[in-house]
Amino acid sequence: MQGGSSGIGYGLKYQARCISDVKADRDHTSFLTGTLSLKEENEVHLLRLSSGGSELLCEGLFSHPNEIWDLASSPFDQRIFSTVFSTGDSYGAAIWQIPEPYGQSNSSTLECVASLDAHVGKINCVLWCPSGNSDKLISMDEQNLVFWSLDSSKKNAEVLSKESAGMRHSLSGGAWNPHDVNSVAATSESSIQFWDLRTMKKNNSIERAHVRNVDYNLKREHILVSADDESGIHLWDLRKTKFPVQELPGHTHWTWAVRCNPEYEELILSVGTDSAVNLWFASASSEHKTSESPVEASRQRVNPLLNSYTDYEDSVYGLAWSSREPWIFASLSYDGRVVIESVKPFLPRR
Amino acid sequence: MAAEAAPMDEKAKRMRDLLSSFYAPDPSITTSNSSINASFDNINSTSFDADQYMDLMIKKSNLEVLLQRHVQMAAEIKNLDTDLQMLVYENYNKFISATDTIKRMKSNIFGMEGNMDQLLQKIMSVQSRSDGVNTSLFEKREHIEKLHRTRNLLRKVQFIYDLPARLQKCIKSEAYGDAVRFYTGAMPILKVYGDTSFQDCRRASEEAIEIIIKNLQTKLFSDSESIQARAEAAVLLKQLDVPVDSLKAKLLEKLEQSLDGLQIKPEEASKLVEHDDSSNDTESNDQHPAKIHEDAVRGFSEAMRAYREIFPDSEERLFKLARALTAMHFENMELYIRKRVSAADFLGIFRIIWEDVVLMDEVLPEAALSDLSAEAAQVTLKQFVARTFSHLQQDISDTLLKFDINQKEAVEGEVLKVILEASQKAVLQGTTNIFQDFRQLLDENAGIFIKMRDLISGWIQKGFQDFFRSLEAQFLVLSGKTSSSNDIEGKSSDKIHAGLILVLAQLSVFIEQKVIPRVTEEIAASFSGGNSQAFENGPAFIPGELCRVFHAASEKLLQHYIDTRTQKVSVLLRKRFKTPNWVKHKEPREVHMYVDMFLHELEEVGKEVKQVLPQGTFRKHKRTDSNGSNTTTSSRSNTLHSDKMTRSNSQRARSQLFETHLAKLFKQKVEIFTKVEFTQESVVTTTVKLCLKSLQEYVRLQTFNRSGFQQIQLDIQFLKAPLKETVEDEAAIDFLLDEVIVAASERCLDVIPLEPPILDKLIQAKLAKSKEHNNNNNNNTVSS
Repeated sequence: MQGGSSGIGYGLKYQARCISDVKADRDHTSFLTGTLSLKEENEVHLLRLSSGGSELLCEGLFSHPNEIWDLASSPFDQRIFSTVFSTGDSYGAAIWQIPEPYGQSNSSTLECVASLDAHVGKINCVLWCPSGNSDKLISMDEQNLVFWSLDSSKKNAEVLSKESAGMRHSLSGGAWNPHDVNSVAATSESSIQFWDLRTMKKNNSIERAHVRNVDYNLKREHILVSADDESGIHLWDLRKTKFPVQELPGHTHWTWAVRCNPEYEELILSVGTDSAVNLWFASASSEHKTSESPVEASRQRVNPLLNSYTDYEDSVYGLAWSSREPWIFASLSYDGRVVIESVKPFLPRR
Repeated sequence: MAAEAAPMDEKAKRMRDLLSSFYAPDPSITTSNSSINASFDNINSTSFDADQYMDLMIKKSNLEVLLQRHVQMAAEIKNLDTDLQMLVYENYNKFISATDTIKRMKSNIFGMEGNMDQLLQKIMSVQSRSDGVNTSLFEKREHIEKLHRTRNLLRKVQFIYDLPARLQKCIKSEAYGDAVRFYTGAMPILKVYGDTSFQDCRRASEEAIEIIIKNLQTKLFSDSESIQARAEAAVLLKQLDVPVDSLKAKLLEKLEQSLDGLQIKPEEASKLVEHDDSSNDTESNDQHPAKIHEDAVRGFSEAMRAYREIFPDSEERLFKLARALTAMHFENMELYIRKRVSAADFLGIFRIIWEDVVLMDEVLPEAALSDLSAEAAQVTLKQFVARTFSHLQQDISDTLLKFDINQKEAVEGEVLKVILEASQKAVLQGTTNIFQDFRQLLDENAGIFIKMRDLISGWIQKGFQDFFRSLEAQFLVLSGKTSSSNDIEGKSSDKIHAGLILVLAQLSVFIEQKVIPRVTEEIAASFSGGNSQAFENGPAFIPGELCRVFHAASEKLLQHYIDTRTQKVSVLLRKRFKTPNWVKHKEPREVHMYVDMFLHELEEVGKEVKQVLPQGTFRKHKRTDSNGSNTTTSSRSNTLHSDKMTRSNSQRARSQLFETHLAKLFKQKVEIFTKVEFTQESVVTTTVKLCLKSLQEYVRLQTFNRSGFQQIQLDIQFLKAPLKETVEDEAAIDFLLDEVIVAASERCLDVIPLEPPILDKLIQAKLAKSKEHNNNNNNNTVSS
């Protein structure tokens, strides 16, 4: 495959699952990633793309007490991020602050801002409020949804509300609606649930089994992308949840995660356990696609797969678009390899 | 002309000469000299000045000439004098004679008046005489005239008195025309005097006329009479002022009634087209319905002809009637073909209808029946073509769904094979039949078909195109890949049996490789008479596109089959890994149940695949093929990787991860996700690969304690042997199974593998148990 040659690589020492774009860093294109090692000492790496865009430099290396299952950078302070970690038999979630000045010593210790310890079961993820300036957080375990208010100066996190989704729905992850800060989508065993944070009630759902990951389209309201194990990627219009707006074939094996580009509404990235990253072009504007004549539709049906990056040795779990340079994305395969790629050649002409 | 003009000129000239001679002093000189002489020397001119002339003469001429001139002039003057004298004399003479004549006339008129009086007297006497004769004859003449009038009247009266008898006579001799003439002749008199003097006579004649009317009506309605006679009867009736409209209505009603009889009822239609030969053989005894129908239509058309001649002014109604019949025919035909009809039957009916139309068209050429029926026939034919295709599609899907897979599955192993073969046969046979049918259509020589031959070819081509397209769509719907719009959530995808999807996939391949080329050939051979219009309107038969469509469909379906199969396994695995707490797992006692279920699923896949798909060429050597290329790529990435490792700030000792990496590299990476082929092995291998990959991913999501790891180790160890048996790509399976173990060890807090002897023992125990189980099962089935 030719696709691999353009990527900029970086190796973590251990296996890893999660990578996050540092959205609050307005001067650099940076990513945070954390390792997943049961027995070794885990690390959080702060990576920065050099100004020429040709090199990926490690700006900071911090030790983290436990293996990291989820990591999210806060949208308002580039030094603050959240992790979900596991000690082997128990889970925890915490907010961390990168010490200042960072990057001097190889393994400076992280400062714990707050511990989100309202959970008992397996914690899935921590979501930052997408509005960018409020200190609201949501953490999810398999049964509960907890709404937090963080005061980073006082190093304190307060539970605003907590709601149980019920035993039957084991939650697996979610996404915060960027168009409506009161709405959060959560994936569960049999459906995608939509929660209203004001009432902490479920107000809508899409019946779809085994959804692994969801992401909102930042540019277009009502459009949600979901990835599931077997049948690939689906685009949903939240006003019409019976049938997906569009279907993409996804990956040869499971589609692990999907991300909509923050700038180019048609671009969707997906990563999968078939060791590949796929770049899709999903117009999704074809709401009236059915009304078209079948002949025309078949002619227009161009291959939605723009490119497949396959130069990975293992399953790819981590994926993040850069919000500063939206044609750049970082992917992370299980063997701890971060690859930065540019999708510039595939950008839609404007 | 010239001869005429000459005397005219002569005459005019003479007249002019005469006049000029009379009035002019000397015309001849004037005319002759005027041109020669100048104004001075022109004697004849009015402006002649004698003195000047004299001067000129004297100046110009010598004496001699002057003398000569003098002499000449003297002579001329003398001449003129005599001439003048002559003229005066002559005129005087004429006066004298005129006076004489007048004198004579006066004397002659005297005495004429007396004669005139005499004449008047004579004429007066002649007139008085003739008046006398006239008055003496007048009386006699008047008498004669009166007598004559009386005689005429008497003759009329006689006629009226004779009328009844005469009418009777006419009735007897059936000379209705005369009778009507007589009656209408007598009619005015009867009308005036009927109530008084001729009462009896009138009654008698009216009775007679009534009989005549009755006779005429019967004649009109009787079919046995000749049309001529019936037409005459109608005309006569009209003359008799019998309300003809009611008659017309009655006749029409009769015609309309007969229409019902003429209908080709859908349920009887098949009878009509029963073998023609039988009707030829046993015509006398058992009249064939077709024959009857034909006679009926002939009768109908005859009746129409009669009607038309009888009432030539009301053709419109007839047109309507005939059109109605044609329309009805075609409507019934449409009803008829709604059921399944062979082309032969269809053609039979069509022929009958066409014959009917031709018969009627002969009678009513103005009704444009042939145009009407041509249009209707086009519609019907198009429908027929469309229906034939939809029937075929129905057939195919029926064959596919005929067998209840789920029930028989346990009992019989060959269901899928049966379905596949049946449906393949259905497709092949169906298309062949369609071609046969349509060839019949093309070979048909009824006039209407010849015109439409091009159209039919176009329809057939388009029909095939649409048929295959909708068939593909139906396959996808049947497989549950796409939800059809009509039955929303009618049946969820899990209700559709996976085997069916596999059959559909193989059937798509069959259609792509066998059926479409055949159809293409057939179309090229028989139906190539493509009309350019149809091509303009839309794409007719495009085999390339269809092949592509079915190729894509087959791949999609095969993938779908694998997906549904792996999905089942995936659910199984998910349950397996979600339920226990792996960190607090107890020591492994035996191989876990899910392995059995997994193997059972695989076995099912194997069974299904064996029934449907062909066996692939044995390709154990593939492993060595792929090895070469893969090692190179791996080594390349290895160097890359180590570069990055050094670049990173990590100065730590090499981790276990790196070691496993290296180990992996040396183990030769095997391609896990290869393209699926339409062979038994390929499908099974792909399924197994995907399942094992899922297993690996599930393992990666858990954290194990020592016993948990050992359990996984045991299960994987157990899986190894049976999987290798079923799968062609052993290397890949080995690799994947190892990957699972590696993943488990990575996620294990305390990696201590089971000792090989214990492992062996547990596996043996499991094998023995399953054998026993199988035996029991067999015994059970035998005993039951």
